[in-house]
Amino acid sequence: MSAVAVHQFAQCITCHAWSPDHSMIALCPNNSEVHIYRMSEDKWERVHVLQKHDQIVSGIDWSSTSNKIVTVSHDRNSYVWNLEGSDWVPTLVILRLNRAALCAQWSPQENKFAVGSGAKTVCICYYEQENNWWVSKLVRKRHNSSVTSVAWHPNNILLATTSTDGKCRVFSTFIKGVDTRDSKTSSSSDTKFGEQILQLDLSYSWAFGVKWSPSGNTLAYVGHNSMIYFVDDVGPSPLAQNVAFRDLPLRDVLFVSEKVVIGVGFDCIPMVFAADESGIWSFVRFIGETKTPSSAPKYGSQFSEAFGKFYSQSKYGVNNDGTENSRQRGGIHQNCINCILPLKEPGVSMVRRFSTSGLDGKVVIWDLENQDDLFQ
Amino acid sequence: MAGTLRLYLTCIRNTLEAAMCLQNFPCQEVERHNKPEVELKTSSELILNPILICRNEAEKCLIETSINSLRISLKVRQADELENILTKKFLRFLSMRAEAFQVLRRKPVPGYDISFLITNYHCEDMQKSKLIDFIVQFMEDIDKEISELKMSVNTRGRLVAAEFLKQFI
Repeated sequence: MSAVAVHQFAQCITCHAWSPDHSMIALCPNNSEVHIYRMSEDKWERVHVLQKHDQIVSGIDWSSTSNKIVTVSHDRNSYVWNLEGSDWVPTLVILRLNRAALCAQWSPQENKFAVGSGAKTVCICYYEQENNWWVSKLVRKRHNSSVTSVAWHPNNILLATTSTDGKCRVFSTFIKGVDTRDSKTSSSSDTKFGEQILQLDLSYSWAFGVKWSPSGNTLAYVGHNSMIYFVDDVGPSPLAQNVAFRDLPLRDVLFVSEKVVIGVGFDCIPMVFAADESGIWSFVRFIGETKTPSSAPKYGSQFSEAFGKFYSQSKYGVNNDGTENSRQRGGIHQNCINCILPLKEPGVSMVRRFSTSGLDGKVVIWDLENQDDLFQ
Repeated sequence: MAGTLRLYLTCIRNTLEAAMCLQNFPCQEVERHNKPEVELKTSSELILNPILICRNEAEKCLIETSINSLRISLKVRQADELENILTKKFLRFLSMRAEAFQVLRRKPVPGYDISFLITNYHCEDMQKSKLIDFIVQFMEDIDKEISELKMSVNTRGRLVAAEFLKQFI
């Protein structure tokens, strides 16, 4: 539960993605390029720069088995990059979007990927062998506003989306010829492409950051009204829980296990949410919460507060004595965190390490080593 | 007097801390464009409810937020005609040099004396806490500046009148 590594890559990072063996990271430094860095001898060196987009790259995903990178951008385009020799070669994606693309994610089996867009549609893209390009099928007329986040269910068919109209929707994305109809899955009646399985209208404000739990039983997403929503038993009769917290809204979440979720957002520190035995979710604490000096003498609290003001004054430049200053949030990230990704070891079901990137240009790797109490 | 100023500024500071949660958001209406949604107001779901914080009838602050931009409009206390003129001239002087301030709007929102427009790009380049400190400091300084200007006008007037009337002594 501490930051294991902090790397400053750029002034501002929009999104990032890890290679399958976690030795390389692909990130967008808030412009139209994708930079790929490799770790060599304790230092990160930039090995590739992917330059094909005209506007900021809003989503990057790196598939773990097929080693392909999908990038989507505000210029309505998307490319799938394949490593050929030592160069990354883009493959055309016929996205058929008329507004910006906001997010992208590979499906669990990596034969499809989903793109959420400002055109109020979701595109599901699959590979067409004959023409060597990726074709898309659009889910139209379902969303009332931009689709901010997409997440695949482990069964490769269901897709959850969140939108700035505050709703979270689950769709079926069965494509004939790409997906095989599995007789074991019970939801065979809803396997028409674009069929809306569920619409969750829990948030009064914009919804972001939807994720499925590892088993696919629970769904979590955040609303801009400083709430996080957990939905169990996604299906005809879902069980929804709202957890409100005191601090600034979150932007993204990550399921570390079935019962523990990490949320990141405008507070610059990851927050931990956990479910107890009865399945009730609640906010546990901030990660890396530095313990207040409880061993200090009784007058210590005022003294240390004044001392802290003095210390911060010298650290952060001249501040006027008259005005009280805004609370400097977070220690490691200096600005909003907008992306959290797991660093999964193969064969281990629980996520012990994850990485966050934010608008301060840092990528921080966190380790949950000492937090076994969360996993009881 | 100072007490209410502190409360007023604390209230504004807390509201700005919550309101300044901005993110990059491309325009939904026009492709490849990125506009501050609070100015355009084309999509109603992207704009949040505006908040009006009033210190008294004469001083108020309107904070309007959207997904990628925030607009703060201030109405400064103007006790008499002279302060009215001084405020208008002083704030017009600042607004004309809005590029130097980056977050200042060239024209105030109708009904107010000065406006700020903060976009997600400002939040990416600058620290949020520093931006809020700047706005609150600005509000404090405005009052001081206007009082100083008024005092200097009155002093100068007195000096000029005294000099002029000396010839009649």
